[in-house]
Amino acid sequence: MIKVAIIGCGKIAESHADVIKSIKNARLAATCDREILMARQLAERYGEGAYYDDLSLMLDNARPEVVHITTPPQSHFEIARTCLNAGCHVFVEKPFTVNGDEATELINLAVSKNLKITVGTDEQFSHIAVEMRRLVAEGWLGDPPYHMDCYYCYDLGDERYARAFLKNRSHWLWQLPGQLIQNIIPHAVMKICEFLSYEGVDVQALGFTSDFLRRLDESHLKDELRAIIKDGKQSTAYLTFSTQIRPPIRQFSIFGTKNGLILDQDHHALLKIPGVQHKSYVEKTVPLNNLARQYRKNMFTNIRLFLKRQFQMKRGLYNLIDLFYKSIENDAEPPIPYEQILMCSRVIDSVVRQLYSGQQKTRS
Amino acid sequence: METGLSKNFIINYDEPILVTGSAGFIGRYVVGQLLKKGFNKIRCLVRETSNLEGLEKIIDLEGGRSKCELIQGNLLLPDDCRNITEGIKLIYHLAAGTGSKSFSEAYLNSVVATKNLMEASLEHGALKRLVNVSSFAVYTNMKKKTGRNLDETCPVETSPETRAEAYCYGKVRQDELVIAYGREKGFPYVIVRPGSVYGPGKAFIPGRVGVDTFGFFLHLGGSTPLPLTYVENCAEAIVLAGLVPCLEGEVFNIVDDDLPSSREFLRLYKRMVRKFRSVYIPKILSYSFCFFWEKFSRWSRGQVPPVFTRREWHAYWKKTYYANGKIKKMTGWKPDIKTEDGLRTFFEYCRQSIKI
Repeated sequence: MIKVAIIGCGKIAESHADVIKSIKNARLAATCDREILMARQLAERYGEGAYYDDLSLMLDNARPEVVHITTPPQSHFEIARTCLNAGCHVFVEKPFTVNGDEATELINLAVSKNLKITVGTDEQFSHIAVEMRRLVAEGWLGDPPYHMDCYYCYDLGDERYARAFLKNRSHWLWQLPGQLIQNIIPHAVMKICEFLSYEGVDVQALGFTSDFLRRLDESHLKDELRAIIKDGKQSTAYLTFSTQIRPPIRQFSIFGTKNGLILDQDHHALLKIPGVQHKSYVEKTVPLNNLARQYRKNMFTNIRLFLKRQFQMKRGLYNLIDLFYKSIENDAEPPIPYEQILMCSRVIDSVVRQLYSGQQKTRS
Repeated sequence: METGLSKNFIINYDEPILVTGSAGFIGRYVVGQLLKKGFNKIRCLVRETSNLEGLEKIIDLEGGRSKCELIQGNLLLPDDCRNITEGIKLIYHLAAGTGSKSFSEAYLNSVVATKNLMEASLEHGALKRLVNVSSFAVYTNMKKKTGRNLDETCPVETSPETRAEAYCYGKVRQDELVIAYGREKGFPYVIVRPGSVYGPGKAFIPGRVGVDTFGFFLHLGGSTPLPLTYVENCAEAIVLAGLVPCLEGEVFNIVDDDLPSSREFLRLYKRMVRKFRSVYIPKILSYSFCFFWEKFSRWSRGQVPPVFTRREWHAYWKKTYYANGKIKKMTGWKPDIKTEDGLRTFFEYCRQSIKI
């Protein structure tokens, strides 16, 4: 039975606690928050009653094997380092750290201590993302170079909600170097990084403030991003982050030298796009039937998952945490390769630099 | 306007009063009532994200610009709490975590905020009373028989985390904390629990009438009375609970007289605001629905959120009557605005809101 602790007992910690509770060989042994009442409420609802407002005391007394860090990102580095030094495996909520240097230091520390560390980019572990990974590994796409197109949108809500968001300057999000974008895009960037080689990555980013926010007198916060990412083997990706596109889609497409795949996260569907084209008007009919068939198949898959009780909103997080714990138990590779975490951090660094310092292009 | 110490209140008219959540739906009316009663130093706590339009309108209406100090602060920050409670003799604590689906967030904005406020008040040592504004949502109503009276003696939820209602969880724990501070630190408090507060400023159909989760309106209340309280009546009751002497440690429910049934409310709403289709679900069916939903939610390991549970049914849709005798007797409160008039004003407001 893996002894787990959670540090930071806010909203996102609930999702973690919920998953930990449902994993058979894990138990939430302790919770910790700077505000003791917050630690108590989470322990009361999910844990075994032990709660703390002092990290060192919690590490000493509860002696957890794994610590989940669900505090604001600015504190991830210090807390993770303390936990690793105390001999704990660490699961860090996204964004992993504030910048790539911190990410590198944490991973080096984990490796040197023979401990495991990972980040909560759980969308990579939904059923469709896992299936996509399997198809790519089996060679469905063909060889690299790949091209990816990732739409990742975020709905700022109506004007009233957006105004409240803009006024709430004490929120930790405003203190992040990349603000809103840095907090939201790790899921998208991680998906892209999964299929890039880890060397020679170039990033070109263009960011701007939408007219919607400008109308609300906001000119600093960038809520629109268009980025081109290219690796040393000529694989490329377009990343679109928008608060204005409707519907606020989350879709990822990847094409190789043979075929393509489209991952439609909103409808939880994965579509295979054959690389071979039909002749003349057949191309305008037969593939459509093929797509319709695939959508129907996805629908039945979703129903089947629902009936098998594997279709929770946070199923990706369950899969990721479960895999992480298994990697600890079996001393296997963690579910997200360290190179991928590091590359994601570097790409985000580069995007943030270009957006907020006016630099047009940097090599990461 | 009343001046001097004409009433036997626990503070005089020049002593400072703090109203948290003053820009909220009830808070602004509490400020209005305090101005009406002649209080001259009202500190209105607002968030940096608050919309101040409604509050400022009421302050202007009562000619209270010079008597009200709008102060921005965050109850989650102890330093802010220390600043805003300095010299304060009476606190009306209305700020709360509403509308959140997250238990942790509701808890943070209700319990932690209240703790910071109480700690800061204890440091200053000037406070004579805190009026903790709670809610009817805290009552369990589980073991009471159908058709009984719900009053201040009824038990509060013992397992609020199972109600799948973050607001209820936050409020139960907030009340517990206030009571614990009263018991252990001699903290002076009164708890008020308003029913369903309605009036201009908030267009809605109470969840006790029914829900439109499935694209059409399920009428679940039937002949059950609605524990309504018109916002101005409610604000006056809250204000009196803070002012009248010898109420320390008391709990008061706030509901108006002549409460309409859920069916009457819905009929009037359809007639005066807008027409829509609704389907009445008899009690036995609504209970069964909640029972099976709860079971299915558990079986499906949370694929379906436990929004309909037997606890919810008991709290909201079981036939229950509501009493307001205690607050009337101990504070002298009476609802000035009759339910009939209150509903007319409310429905007119709803109609205008829909037009806009």
